[in-house]
Amino acid sequence: MKKHAITLTVNGEERDLIVSSNRTLLDALRDDLGFTDTKYGCGTGECGACTVLVDGTTSINGCLTLAATMDGRSITTAAGLAHDGALHPVQQAFIDNDAIQCGFCIPGMVLKTISILADNPRPTEDEIRHGLEGSICRCTGYAKIVEAVQDASHRMAGVGE
Amino acid sequence: MEDLKVVGKRVERVDVRAKVTGGALYAADVQLAGMLYGKIVRCYDHAHARVTSLDLSEAAKCKGVIKVLGPKDVTQKEYNASVLDMMVSADMRGVLGDIDDQSIFTDHVKHYGDAIAAVIATSEEAAERAAEKIRVTYEELPVYMTAEAAKHPDALQFRPEKPGNLAFQLPEMAFPDNAYAWGDVEDSFAGADIIVEDSFYVPKQKQCQMEPGTYIALYDDQKRLNCWTSTQMPKLVQKKLANLFELPMTRVRINITVIGGGFGARLGMVLEPETCALAMAVPGRPVKLLSTREEDWVTSPSRHPGKYWMKMGFKKDGTPVACDARFENYKGAYYVDASGTAFTTGAWLGGMYKFDSLRYRGESYYTNQSICGAFRGYGNPQTNFVMEQMVDRGCAELGVDPIEWRRKWHKTIGDDGWCIGVPYNSCALDECLDRASAAIGWTEKRAKYKNQTGTVRRGIGVAVMNHTSGAMPMLLEHTVCDVLMHQDATVTINLACSDMGQGSHTTLRQVAAETLGFPYEDVHMSVGDTDAAGFDIGAHASRTLYVGGGAVKQACEDVRRQLFDRAALELEEDVGNLYMEDKIIHVKGSSNKSISVQTIADQGVNNFMNPETGELIGQPGQIQGYASFFPPHNAPPFGATIAEVEVDMETGEVRVIELVNAHDVGRAIHPGVVEGQLDGGAQQGLGMVLTEETYYDDKGICLNNNFTDYKMFGPSDMPKMTNILVENPDPTGPFGAKGVGEAGIVPPVGATANAIFNAIGIQILEAPITPEKILKALAEKEKGLS
Repeated sequence: MKKHAITLTVNGEERDLIVSSNRTLLDALRDDLGFTDTKYGCGTGECGACTVLVDGTTSINGCLTLAATMDGRSITTAAGLAHDGALHPVQQAFIDNDAIQCGFCIPGMVLKTISILADNPRPTEDEIRHGLEGSICRCTGYAKIVEAVQDASHRMAGVGE
Repeated sequence: MEDLKVVGKRVERVDVRAKVTGGALYAADVQLAGMLYGKIVRCYDHAHARVTSLDLSEAAKCKGVIKVLGPKDVTQKEYNASVLDMMVSADMRGVLGDIDDQSIFTDHVKHYGDAIAAVIATSEEAAERAAEKIRVTYEELPVYMTAEAAKHPDALQFRPEKPGNLAFQLPEMAFPDNAYAWGDVEDSFAGADIIVEDSFYVPKQKQCQMEPGTYIALYDDQKRLNCWTSTQMPKLVQKKLANLFELPMTRVRINITVIGGGFGARLGMVLEPETCALAMAVPGRPVKLLSTREEDWVTSPSRHPGKYWMKMGFKKDGTPVACDARFENYKGAYYVDASGTAFTTGAWLGGMYKFDSLRYRGESYYTNQSICGAFRGYGNPQTNFVMEQMVDRGCAELGVDPIEWRRKWHKTIGDDGWCIGVPYNSCALDECLDRASAAIGWTEKRAKYKNQTGTVRRGIGVAVMNHTSGAMPMLLEHTVCDVLMHQDATVTINLACSDMGQGSHTTLRQVAAETLGFPYEDVHMSVGDTDAAGFDIGAHASRTLYVGGGAVKQACEDVRRQLFDRAALELEEDVGNLYMEDKIIHVKGSSNKSISVQTIADQGVNNFMNPETGELIGQPGQIQGYASFFPPHNAPPFGATIAEVEVDMETGEVRVIELVNAHDVGRAIHPGVVEGQLDGGAQQGLGMVLTEETYYDDKGICLNNNFTDYKMFGPSDMPKMTNILVENPDPTGPFGAKGVGEAGIVPPVGATANAIFNAIGIQILEAPITPEKILKALAEKEKGLS
C-alpha cells in the first residue's frame, strides 16, 4: 500500500504524519493523532458520529474521507472548540438544553450544528431537522438537540450583533 | 413534602462537560501500553452449519500476528451471557430451567455471525488481514427461523435438554397449566357478550445504541483479569466472568468506561467472555476487541420477535371479563433471556386491566436468528402493540370511547400489579389520561376524523401502560452504597450503578445532596469500579433511581445521623433539638450554639489531643455512611400516549403528526432527565411500530444489520412532542420518584397503531406497520367489499 506524507492542521496545531492510501481521516485522527473525540459509529457515513469540520465550517464524515486527501487542510474536532476554558456557544447550548445523554453522537452533533449555523445563522425548526439528517442520536428523540440548535443560533446571533 | 433544594431542579449533569468536549473516554478511546488487537472470525455464510474443517495455519504466518485461537484453545466451559440466572434463587433457577449453552468459539454455527476462531495481532488492521486467511469449511444444516419451523417434529434439536427446541415455557411448578393466570378464562368467555381475537406479529427490533461494543481485557502480573467494558451490569458481569474463568471475584476487575447507550444491549455479558479468553491467552498484554456496527448488531441481543395471539371478552356494558394470550417468541440461537421476557410480556398484560380472568402463556423457541434478550421495556412494547389494539377493537364493537373505557377499567391502587401478590401502591393514570386528552384535543379530533373519504386521512389513538421500578418481586433487587465524608465536608458516593447516558448519576447525586442537606457541588459520584464498590444488580428494569437512589438515600441518612450524633455530643444537646442549615448544625432557639459540618468532619479525621488537657478535640473517626438496600416495592410507573397520524391511502405512508406523552413519574428528580427519557423512548417506540425490523433471508442471512438498510426515525421524521410529567409521589420511592427509563418507549407503540386504525378503519396486525402492509390491508378490504 502506498504511503503518503501529509500535514494536517488539527484544532489549530500542525501535525505531520504518514498514512497509507486507504487510511481514513477517522482512523488517522483517532489512532495516529489521538483525537478520540471523533467517534466510529457505523463506518458507512450514516450516523455522523465521526463528523469533523474542514477549513472552518464545512462538515464531513471522517469515516468516508481518506486522510491523504486532506493534506494541507485544517480540521476541527470537538476537542478544539473550547478556548481558555470557555465552551463554544453551541457546546454550552447543548449542555443548557439537556441535549446530551450517552454523548456518543454529541461531538459530531455539535460540529454539525456549527456547520448548519454557518450556512444559515437563523434556521427554522424544519431547516434544523433537515440539516441534522445524517447525524443519528438514539437517546434524545432529537427534541432537545433541536432546542439546543435553536438556542445556539440565538446565542451566536447575539454575539455577532 | 418539605422544601426541596436540589431535587426537582435542572442541575447540570455530571457528565456533560466531558461529553461535549470529547474528553469522555468510551472503551474504544482507552489506550494501554502494549495493547494488542483481537479479531473474531465469524460465520457470515450460513445461519446453521457444522464446521467440517478449520485451518488456522496461514493466519498464524501473517505479519503482526501474536496468536490464533480456535475452539480448543480457549476455555471449554459453557456459559449463559444473560445474568437473569444470578437474580433468582438456586431453587427458582432449577424451576425456570436456565441453561448454559454458549461457548467462546463454536464448531456448530447456530446463527449468522456465530464465532468460530480469533486472531490476536499488533494492530487492528493486522488482525483483520490475518482473520481473512483463516479457512473454514462448513456442512450446511436446515435453517429454522421461526417458532413454527423450530417446533416441527423433524427439526434438528438445538439442545438435548430442551426437546422440541422449546427453550422455555412458563414452568408447571410455578405456573399451573404453564400459564400466568387468574380466574377461569373458559368460564368467563362463556359469559362474554363480545369477543375479539387475533394473531399478531411483533418485530425483531435493535437497540442501535450509538457506541458499538468495544472491550479491553488484561490478565495482569497479579493474575488478575481486568476488563474494560461499558456494561450495564458491572457486578454481575464480574461474577459471571469469575465463574467462567474459575477465578475468585477478587481476581476479576471490571472498569466501567463511559457507556454510549445501552437500552438493554449491554445487559449481562456481550463480548466480555471472548475478549477475556483472548487476554488469558496472552498474559500481561491488554487485548482490545472493537466490533463493527454490523458485528455488534448480530452479537448483542435484540428485542424478542414472534407471534402473539390474543383474545378478549367483554360484557355489553364494557366489563372486561376475560383475556387469553400466547406469545411464541423466536428466541434466537442461544438461551440467554429465554425465561425473563417470556414471563414479563405476560406480566405487563396482567398488570393493566381488571379482567375477571386472565391466562397468558409465554414460550421461547430456539431459532437460527441472532440472540434476543433485553431491550428497553422487556416485553412491554410487544404487549402494548397487541393488547392496546385488541382493546380498541373491543371499544369499537362496544361503541365506547377508548379513553373512557381505559379510565374505567385500568388497574389501580390495591389491584395486583405486574406480579400477582404485589398490589399497586400508587397510580396516577387517570390524571395522565385527562391531561393528555386535554392537551391534544382528543374529543374534538376523535369526532372530526369520523367518516373521512379523502386520499390523506387523519387518525388519533391512545394507549396506556404499566411498568415497574426494579424487578422486585420477580428478581433480586439490591444495591450497596458507601458514602465517604472527607475532612473538608465534601462527600464521595461510591456504588456500582452504571449510567448508560440516561442521567442516573446526576439524579443519584441530587438524591445524595438533598438527603445530606449539602449543595450539589459538594457531592462527587465515584462509580463503576468493581474493586471498590459493593453489590449492585445493574442498570435494568428502570431501577437505578428507585433502587440505587434508595441505597444512596439510606447511606446519606446514615451520614446525617452520625453528624447529628456528634454535634449533639459537642453541643451537649439532644439530637432532637438540632437542625442543619448551610452545613451548620444549630440548636433550636439558641442563636449562638452551633457547630459546622466542616468542623465535625475535620475533627473526625484530624483528631488531635489537646496537650494541656489531654482530651481529644472533637469526636474521632472519619464519617462513612453505608447502606445495603433492598427495596420494599416496585413503585409502578404508569403512562398514556395519544398519537395523531396522517395516512396516505394511495402510498400507504404514515406520518406521525403529534405525540402527547403523559407519565406518572412519582417525582421528577431532574425534569430534563425525565423528559429526555420520554423523548428518546418515543423515538424508539415509533420505530418499533412503523419502521424498525431486522430482516433475514430464507437462509438466515441478515439483510440489514447496518444503519443504511435499517430505518430509524431521524430528526425530520419525529413528530411534535409534548411531555406531561404527572408528579404523584410514590410512598416508597426516593423523594417519591419512580423509574422512567423504559416507560417512554411503550405507549407510543399502541397509540400509533390505534391512530392508524382510527384513520383507515383497519388494524394492521404486524409490526412494523410499513406502507406495504397498509396497502395490502386496504386492498384486501376492498376485495372483501366488492
